[in-house]
Formats: sequence, structure tokens, C-alpha cells
Amino acid sequence: MKDFLRRNGIWLLIIALLLSILIGVSSALMGGNADPFSNLVTTVTAPVRNGVAAVGDFFQGVSRYVFRYGEMEEQIAALEEENARLKEQIREGEEALQENEQLRELLDLREKRRDFVFESAKITTRSASNWQSTLTLSKGEESGIQAGNCVVTSSGVLVGVVSEVGSHSATVSTVIDTSMEMGGIITRTNSAGVLEGDFALMQEGKLRLSYLPDEAQLVAGDEVLTSGRGDVYPSGLVVGQVEGVFSDASGMNRYAVVIPEVELDTLVEVFVIKDFDIVE
Amino acid sequence: MTTRDQIHKWFFYALGLFPVWVLDAYVLNRLPVFGIIPMLLPLAVVSVAVLEGAYAGAGFGLAVGLLWELSYPGGFGGLVFGMTLAGMAVGAVTQYALSQTFVSCLLCSAAVLGVLDGLQILRALFIQMDTLDVLLQVAVPEVLLSLCWTPVVYLIFRLIHRRVGGTRLA
Repeated sequence: MKDFLRRNGIWLLIIALLLSILIGVSSALMGGNADPFSNLVTTVTAPVRNGVAAVGDFFQGVSRYVFRYGEMEEQIAALEEENARLKEQIREGEEALQENEQLRELLDLREKRRDFVFESAKITTRSASNWQSTLTLSKGEESGIQAGNCVVTSSGVLVGVVSEVGSHSATVSTVIDTSMEMGGIITRTNSAGVLEGDFALMQEGKLRLSYLPDEAQLVAGDEVLTSGRGDVYPSGLVVGQVEGVFSDASGMNRYAVVIPEVELDTLVEVFVIKDFDIVE
Repeated sequence: MTTRDQIHKWFFYALGLFPVWVLDAYVLNRLPVFGIIPMLLPLAVVSVAVLEGAYAGAGFGLAVGLLWELSYPGGFGGLVFGMTLAGMAVGAVTQYALSQTFVSCLLCSAAVLGVLDGLQILRALFIQMDTLDVLLQVAVPEVLLSLCWTPVVYLIFRLIHRRVGGTRLA
């Protein structure tokens, strides 16, 4: 083989160049779908990926149990308290709901509704690059997942958007990825902006809310949701909380740094919103 | 060296690449250091190119480039050519200018990682994603952290080279 390489070394470069062009062209033509070569490799390497993910999750669970036992106990106590408070709120809410329905009928108003079609999936890989923040899911096109679908946690917190779909896997660009661009809204002030990823903030696990209106008065801790403008992504998904408001280098534009609600490092299972219908 | 010997040799190199790939793709990204994760695949190409020379380095670079491009998200094809070129260049430089030692491997790794991150920075600057100082804050720690892994990766392939490398099986 060494003789072959010695005689044909330049041919290796030409073959590499042709393969590069082939992969580049096929991924460009496939749009949001994985090219056939990546699809094949992803399918072949799936057992390794799933195996390592399972082992990794197991050890992560064990280390959390061993090193963060006290923290977990405190968390359980806090959750029990919160659970009791929420049960009380549900009881009050049910009464308010009934009253609301009666008043709607009386005034002949359209009912508000938020219908989502979910697909659950496991996270099998986290991005191995510092230049992007992605997750690979265990399900893909065969489960009806498409590029552009939003991905949330079990509590409805935004994880990211599906950027590429293979037949049995999907790549999700997380909320902190630099390709992220989505309408966001501050619930307290109703100020809208654009949620964007940023290289410097990505390393800190944060993102920014840009193009804030001049009159927007934000404070640390303000909740940020998706605005749903343009009807591409659903509205009302929890993104995170405002950490602070800053001006850009020119001093002309203000932006808010947002700490995402989702804990990307500990996520194991997510839900892909395959379809949605929101009436507000 | 017979074809059977060559298959045997490259089978061992592929076996050596497997733990490096698993570490790179599935393990180290769960354990970032100050938010940074290292790149191991270029180190594998450089190590084999240093030990085996230009053309074998190019062949191994082609295989690693394909693996990198197809099993990681966001590929656009350039890494296949880039890794082949890197393998060939490193092999030639260590054969004719430097020596086939660990120090050469470290120097060449720094150069290859620098070029890879330099291209990322140029791309990001070209599409005006961020400013140079912000991009350097990502690139410099990435190169430095990756270089810390050079001894481990080099050792894996050095052990394989000692057993089956060069013309030892002939």
C-alpha cells in the first residue's frame, strides 16, 4: 500500500478534493436533510453513539448521586413545597377556568388554545466543536421530524431548533448556537427583540436579545419567551431570564444577555414539536 | 510488505483511531474545561503522518477527514481535502525538514490546529459573525487545550507504529 501511495500520492489529493466537492454539493442540495453519506455513517455509528451515551448518562447519574446528594435532597424538599403550592393553584385555577368558559360563552369569544404534536427523543451526542452548540437526537425523518422544528424539555423550555435531519437522527442547534435567530419577547414589558447566538456568550452558555426598542425598560430576572412572530416557531416557549442590558460597541443599540432556562449539560430526553396550532 | 501485511497494519491504525474518535466525539464534549473542548482528530492525522511519512499520512488524513465530515454535524466537505493535505504536508515536512519525533509532532500539531482555527476565524470574519478578539478567545484556548492531548494521541500511534509501522511486517 505504501508503494501504491508513493506512486499515487497526488491522486489521493485529487480523490480527496473530489470527495470534498461531492459532499459539499450533496449537503447543499439536500437543504435541511443530511446528505446520503452522512446518513449512512450516522446509521452505522448509531450503536456506538447510543452505547456511549447510555454509559455517559449512567456515570453522570452516579456522580450526581455521589457528589451532589445534599443538593438533591434540598431540591426535593423545595420541589415538595412547590408541589403543594401548585396543587393549591390548580384548585383555584380550575374554578377560574370554569368561570372563564362561562364568560366566553356569554360574550361569544373564540377559545384560546395551544395544540402541539410532540415526538420524544433521547440525546445521543453533544457537539464536539467550540464553534457550534449542537445536540444529536435518536430520532429523525422516519419519526416525522423536520428541519426547523422546535425542541423543548418536558417542562416546555426551549432547547433549540432542528437544523439537519437524517433518517434515524436529527441535529439540533441549541438556543446558544451562533446560528440561532428567533423572535423573543419579555413577558413583563411585552418588549420584542431578536434572540441570537454569539461566540463569546456561547462559551458562557448564554445568548443575547438584540434590537431592543429604545423605550424597553428591562431588569435582571425578566422572563424571555419566544414571540412566535412570523408563525415559523411557536410563541410562548420559555427561553430564559435577562441577566443584564448592555450597549453594543457603537453605543447606538442595546441588547440583553439572556441566561437560558435549559441546562444543556444534563439534558437526557427532549420533545420535538412536529406541528403546532396556537389560537390567541 | 505484502497486501495482507498492509491490511494488518492499517487495521491496527484504525483500531488506534477508534478510542481517539470516541474520546473526541462522545466523551470530552461532556467534560469541557472552562467551556472549551479539545480537537483530537487532527492530532491523530499529524501523529500518523509524522510516524509513517507523507503518502501514508495523506491516506490516513483522507480517512480521518471522511470520518470527521460524515459523523459530525455541520460538515460541508472541506475537511476531507484539508486533512489529506495536512497529512501529506506534515509527513513531507517531518521526512525532509524536521525529524520523526514527538517534538516535531507537537510543532506540526500546533501548525495544523492553528490553520484549522485560522480558517474558522476567517470564515466568521467574512460573514461578519463576530469581531477578531472574540473569535481569538475561542480559538486560542482550543488550540492550547488540544495540544495538551498530543502526548496521549502520539503515544497511542507510537505504540502501534512500534508493532506494525513502517516495513516491520515485511
